[in-house]
Amino acid sequence: MNPLKFIWGIFFRLFPCPVPTGLRRIGNPGPDAPVLVTCNFYIAVRRLIRALQGIDLWLLVADSKGVNVWCAAGGDEFNTQSVVSVVKTSGIGELVDHRKLILPPLGAPGIIAKELKDRTGWSVRWGPVRGGDIPQYLRAGQRRSEPMKRVTYNWFERLDTALGALFPFFFLGAAGFFIFSRHLFLDYVLISAMAFLFFMLTCPWLPGKRGLTKAIFLDLILGMVLVLYEVSGIRSTVAIRSDLVIAMIMILLYGTELGGLASTMPSDLDPFLARLGIGAIGNVAFAGSVRTELLNGYRDLTYDRNRCIGCRNCNEVCPQGVWAMDEERHAVLGQREKCTACRACIVQCLSGAIQAECRPHAEGTGICREER
Amino acid sequence: MLSYIFMKILEARPRSYDRRMDRFSRGKVARIKEAVVAEIPERAEVLEIGCGTGELAAMLIARGATVTGFDLNPEMIEVAREKIEEEGLGNRFTLGEMGVDGMDLFPSSCFDAVVSTLSFSELSNDERRFTLRHAERVLKPGGLIVIADEVVPRTLLRKLVKACVRIPMLAATYLASGASTRPIADLPVEIEDAGFEVSKEIRSQGDAFALVVGVRKDKE
Repeated sequence: MNPLKFIWGIFFRLFPCPVPTGLRRIGNPGPDAPVLVTCNFYIAVRRLIRALQGIDLWLLVADSKGVNVWCAAGGDEFNTQSVVSVVKTSGIGELVDHRKLILPPLGAPGIIAKELKDRTGWSVRWGPVRGGDIPQYLRAGQRRSEPMKRVTYNWFERLDTALGALFPFFFLGAAGFFIFSRHLFLDYVLISAMAFLFFMLTCPWLPGKRGLTKAIFLDLILGMVLVLYEVSGIRSTVAIRSDLVIAMIMILLYGTELGGLASTMPSDLDPFLARLGIGAIGNVAFAGSVRTELLNGYRDLTYDRNRCIGCRNCNEVCPQGVWAMDEERHAVLGQREKCTACRACIVQCLSGAIQAECRPHAEGTGICREER
Repeated sequence: MLSYIFMKILEARPRSYDRRMDRFSRGKVARIKEAVVAEIPERAEVLEIGCGTGELAAMLIARGATVTGFDLNPEMIEVAREKIEEEGLGNRFTLGEMGVDGMDLFPSSCFDAVVSTLSFSELSNDERRFTLRHAERVLKPGGLIVIADEVVPRTLLRKLVKACVRIPMLAATYLASGASTRPIADLPVEIEDAGFEVSKEIRSQGDAFALVVGVRKDKE
């Protein structure tokens, strides 16, 4: 383990944390061992290798500019070219006697399976969403159970994403308090950490579909407490008023980008910034070097059943289970309200049956249906 | 010194890339390209890896060469295409948008020289090995490979000097473009491993930049 990279990868996830790309041997793989592909984000590779202990396989680490699979695929940093390059230059073809790649399905917004096959001759199987499920997936003869295909946002994942994305802002705030208002520094550190933990751990049960609604709900409660405190006439040595205000501001801040962090929600901030003409602020704003204008170009799917050829790709790659298959083996847009606009189905659809209205700011980026 | 790290920022604006690059590097990049061109025999068939805006290709063509170039950046390719149109180089310059993974598409023994400036430092170890292996294959016997790129200095002192200059620049470049380069540890050895004989190695800029010329060995 590299402690510096570990800390960087965990707490500064808005910035890339790359490892060298290329082939890794896991255990003692032979010519028939499976070939797994992942991104070159330090934390992802580390967690994957730990999950794979005791298994013999080939791991291809493809270039994603040091960003995690999903964000990098959404921002077109982890794409067909990344995988083609590592497949061809690593010499994996000479080490195995099959031509099957197991890809992370969250890479589906960036890696076009058909193009990959055309360019390398390797066919694509979408593996489990979570690396931790891979041993079980392999034991089951490379078959995925339904839960393996879908993203979750459990307490560990909530803590993990939120720590990674919000820590730099917390840190900036702490520096600000330390310099300008030192008597509130400790309050800020404790209160914002508590507000943050409380919000991240309770967010699935807070009312509202968007992060901001959830945050405003919590803020209203805190606001009422603040009003009660003001009218009650209690005098305290603790800076309760300031603490409550800090908590309210921090919760609002967390709420603003909850959608972007949560794997089960679409981002609110990205399209808003894109509408203002801000695609990316350097790459400080969102997951590494990801171009935000590519991330949320779509919201409303259109689906033409007559064009569906029943390839099942949409059902296979949708991390939210939006797509079902009917008895005639055509795709059915089952749970549209769950769509997080990751565009995996649009990219993988073989017949162009799935389309999306292009937002004006996404035009000319080469991702709109009309342009393909 | 070492201002070519900034090229990653400039690449975002391909149209002014050449001009800005030259100003940033205070003419250094132009001198690098001239040094590369000087190594290439006149009227050679040249393959350029990472041709960017086609600046070096145009210089080679001016000396009678025919150039095939490729680059992964579509905007840079677009500018190169416009350059071809403007300067009427159409029949002397073939362009493609692809990465080094496409090197295996070229037939064997068809080029007199393979050149690459400031591209190798963007490749992974595997990609460099693959590229050099195929460069050896596509070259005619006695053909030349000329690579000019950022390298790791050989002495500890020079390494420290370089780190001091590079780290702040890297941070600035990174914040603006989200990209960086990776100096190559042992470029001549990599070139030799691919079956070349290194005939020249010129170090400059505090030992942090190298121009390496390799000759494809004549296989019996």
